[in-house]
Formats: sequence, C-alpha cells, structure tokens
Amino acid sequence: MLKLVLARLAFMVAAGFVLLTFLFCLFHAIPGDPARLIAGDSAPEALVQSIRQAYGLDQPLLTQYTTYMGRVLHGDFGLSNFSRQPVLQIVGPRLLNTAKLAGWSMLLAMSVSLLLGSLSAMYWDRPLDRGVTAFSLVGICTPIFVTGILGIYFFGVHLRWLPIGGMSSWKHYVMPVLTLGLAQAAGFTRMVRACMIDALGRDFITTARAKGVPERTIVFKHGLGNALLPIITFFGLGLGHMLGGAAVAESIFNWPGLGRLMVDSILTRDLPLTQGCIFFFAMTFILVNLIVDLLYRWADPRIAND
Amino acid sequence: MEILRRYACDRVGLFFGIILLGFYAVAITAQWITPVDPFETNLSEGLQPPSAAHWFGTDQFGRDTFSRVILATQVTAKITTVSLLFSLLIGVPIGMMVGYLGGIADAVVMRLTDMLLIFPTIMIAIIIVVVVGPSQNGVIIALGLSQLPNFIRIARSAALSVRRELYVEAAVAAGASWPDILLRHILHNISGPIIVKSTLALPGFVIGASSLSYLGLGVQPPTPEWGQMLHEAKDFLTNAPYLIVGPAIALSLFVLAANMAGDSLNESLDPKLKGRRIKRIVPRLTGRIATS
Repeated sequence: MLKLVLARLAFMVAAGFVLLTFLFCLFHAIPGDPARLIAGDSAPEALVQSIRQAYGLDQPLLTQYTTYMGRVLHGDFGLSNFSRQPVLQIVGPRLLNTAKLAGWSMLLAMSVSLLLGSLSAMYWDRPLDRGVTAFSLVGICTPIFVTGILGIYFFGVHLRWLPIGGMSSWKHYVMPVLTLGLAQAAGFTRMVRACMIDALGRDFITTARAKGVPERTIVFKHGLGNALLPIITFFGLGLGHMLGGAAVAESIFNWPGLGRLMVDSILTRDLPLTQGCIFFFAMTFILVNLIVDLLYRWADPRIAND
Repeated sequence: MEILRRYACDRVGLFFGIILLGFYAVAITAQWITPVDPFETNLSEGLQPPSAAHWFGTDQFGRDTFSRVILATQVTAKITTVSLLFSLLIGVPIGMMVGYLGGIADAVVMRLTDMLLIFPTIMIAIIIVVVVGPSQNGVIIALGLSQLPNFIRIARSAALSVRRELYVEAAVAAGASWPDILLRHILHNISGPIIVKSTLALPGFVIGASSLSYLGLGVQPPTPEWGQMLHEAKDFLTNAPYLIVGPAIALSLFVLAANMAGDSLNESLDPKLKGRRIKRIVPRLTGRIATS
C-alpha cells in the first residue's frame, strides 16, 4: 500500500511537470504580445520594450522555459498583471473558499442521494420511486445557472430571506451549497438507485429476509454495504465534475473562489493569474482522483491484489 | 431502420423526439419566424413586462425577448451540431484506428484519454477558450476538443467489438489493406451505434455551450444565446424577473428532450438494455414486496 501511495505521488509530481510545460506553451501560443498586454494598449513602445526586458520576454524560448520552471519550483508563479500581487497569495485563499463550497455541497449531495436512492430502490416502481426519479431527471436536465438564478430570484429578491452573494455568514452558504449540491445529488441519486436495486436483488438479501432481519437493517446495512463499492467510484468521478460546476456556481453567487477568479482572469486577460488558477485546479483534480483511487482499493481489497 | 421502428414504439421517447425535432425546425427557420427583429433596439420600450406584442417582455435595450429566444435556438443548434460533428470527424477515425490496430498506439491514446477524462469537460473547454479566444467559433472548438476523449473511446470500443468478426477476417484473407478494411468493413458496421451513442452526448454539448456563454467566455453580445441571455437578465432580477423565463424554459426543455430522446434511441439500439434489467429485477422485487 505504501509503495502504491509513493508511486502515485511520483505520478503526481510528473503530472505537475507536464502541466507546467503545457501551461508555458499555452502562454506562448496565445496570439498577441504579452509585454504589450501588461503595458496596456496606449503605452509607448519604449515602455513595452523595457517590460519585455524586465520579464525576460526577449530571451530565447528555452531560456525562458528554464527560468519559468526554476521560479515555479521556488513557489513563485509571478505577479498578477492587474493587482501586482504574487499569484500564489491570491490563489491560496481562493482555493480554500472553493474547497469549502465544494466540501459542503459534496456532503449534501452524498447524504441526499444515499437516502433518496435507497428509499427509491426500496419502494421500486411505486409513487415514491417515481417522484425521486422525476426529481433526479429534472436535476440532471437543468443547468445550475438556471436553478441558481431562480433561487436568487425567489429567496433573494422576492422573499428576501437569503443574501445573493458573498460568503461572510452561514446564510451566504445556503443557496450556493443547495444549488450545487442538489444538482450533483440528482446525478448521484440515479446511480445509487440503480446500484441499490441491483444489490437488493441478490441472494443474500433473500437469506437475510428469511432469517427475519428487520427491513431497515436489510436495506441500509446489507444492501447499502454491498452497493457501496460502485457508489464510491461514482462519487469520486462526481467530485471532479462538481469542482467544474463550482466555477459556474461561484460566478452566479459572487463566491470568492478559485473558479470565479479563473474566469475573471481570463476575461481581463491576466495571463499569470490564469496560469496559476489552471495549475492549482488541475492539481486538485489529480489529487482528488488519487484519493478516490486509494479509497476504492481500501474498500475492495480484491483490486489491490490484482 | 430496425432501430427506428423500435424507437417509434417507445411513446415517451417519441414524444421527446418530436420536441427535439421541433427545436431543430425552429432553429432552421429562425430568420423567418421571429415576430420582431431580434436585434432591433428601442430604448423607449425597454424592460416591458410580457404583453400580446412581446410574449416574454423586452430587455434593457427594448429588444423582443421572444424573438431573441428563437434566434438563440438557432445559435445553440448550430454550435452543438458543428462541435458534435467536429468531435465525430476527429474522434471516430482515431478511435477506430487504435481499436483495430491495437499495440503501442492504442496504449498511448488510451492513457492520454484516461488522463484527460480526470478533468471535467467544462474545465478543458475553459482552458481551450483561453487560447482560441471567447467567440462563437471558440465555443465550437472548445466543446469539440473537450468531448474528443469520449468519442475516441466510443469508436475504439465499437471497433474492438467487430474486429474479430468473420467478415473482417475474410477481408484480411482476401488481401485487403487496413485502411480499406477500416473504411469499408469496420466503419460501415459501427456507424449506426456510434451515431446513436453520440446523441447521448448532445445534452452535454448544449449545457457546455450555454455555461461558457453564461460565464462570458462563449457567444458574445449582441448575438443571443440562452446562457448569455440569462447572464444579462440576472442584472435586472429586481425590476424585470420575466426576462429569465424564456431562456430558462427553452434551455431546460431542450436538454430534457435531448436527454430523453437519446436514452430511448440508445435503448432501441440495444433492447436488452431495457428488457434485461427489468426482467431480472422484477421477480426478485415482487417477491420482496410480497413478503414485506
């Protein structure tokens, strides 16, 4: 197990290198003069030239690449073109805010989907099941910016119960977490239901029932326990997907997270900041994937023995 | 044809299929059926609530929201169709080739798609927009490329399933070259399933296109797009909440119809998908319900 963790960490470092190289190429593939972009459209040519020299943009590509990688390894991702703050200082707190939003939403999505999915499988093809299936279908088909705007209108503008942006109190969490969490719960519920229907049809369930085990124990212990393995995989895949959705949710609710920062930096063409955001987002995805992979092996030792 | 006949028997699927076709009919005829010019601004008639003249009201520039929703249908249909074709035309040849030939190329391409599939497609699309720039063509390239790994996988598994068939071996024995086998025998036999499977990807394209436009990274104003219209409407929620109604309904209904029609089409391609599951589960569950 330790060997596996080490191998995966080595893979992460390698992936980080590939990613940085990719981002460096990206930086240079973008049409337009980066020095002109920093200086501004109306800046005199002399200023653009001095910026070009100060940033090393007149050096050969390979020299630029080695300096860039050297700096990044020391934790220096450069300065934001606009706020002139180090990228790392801006990105750090934003990443934490995204983690808070994604964490609570994930928790909500998991608990709602486990409960609804199990109930739906328990009452298969009855009104409750139909209702849950309809809920998940609507959830899957409605993009989060539609549900988000509807939420803002009803609870923020019309009823004035909840604030429509920011993250300073628990009230600010309600709408973003509900929007993102329930959208994800819709997809999860479908999967949990299918896995539970499959698990509840197995022979050991019949045996348990024959022994007179209470129905609740059968469903939530025997059924859910055995359905958990595929469910973990779906949850893991879903977590990555949700981090993508968080970028949209953050823009709707003015959540000061990494996703909104990334979108804003692209719109203002703040390339160093965009690079930093993409790097940290990508590393988060790889890390999440690694954790899910380890969790999966822990839950099913048969895979580890392969 | 057999697929279409089975599809026609599925009433729910047929219903949503007709809605989906309706959307495409609106998209094709959009120029002629908009009641008012969707770009015509009239500041004195800005932010008017829905009326007989303007069914969904007017936006801040006095443009008719209903006409804009209709034109946005065309924009969305164009973007999703072109990017879907883009993914198909690049992904299918690659997937088919590595699936049939196997070996190192197969291993490399599969590892690459594995790595790309870790990232949510919307993230990949956003990164591509950084390079190609936010525009309608940018969205098409971004969506097409970000969905590419899925299409490579679909084509690869389809090619894998037929490459040991007798007719392929017969073609090899007859001395056909591999491009010939791929084009004449394999592509011919997997094109049906691939087309059906690609309908399952359509909702993802629609949501992707409107999400990018919502974020301001896609279709740029004044061209209407549902996501971009919702983004503009968000600023007027207090005094003109009716502006969100049209684009929100159109977008959700389009995605729902594409989802349901795609599911049914997929089931009619492989009837076992539906029958097998229900047949296997029903006796067990009825037994269970009877005892509980």
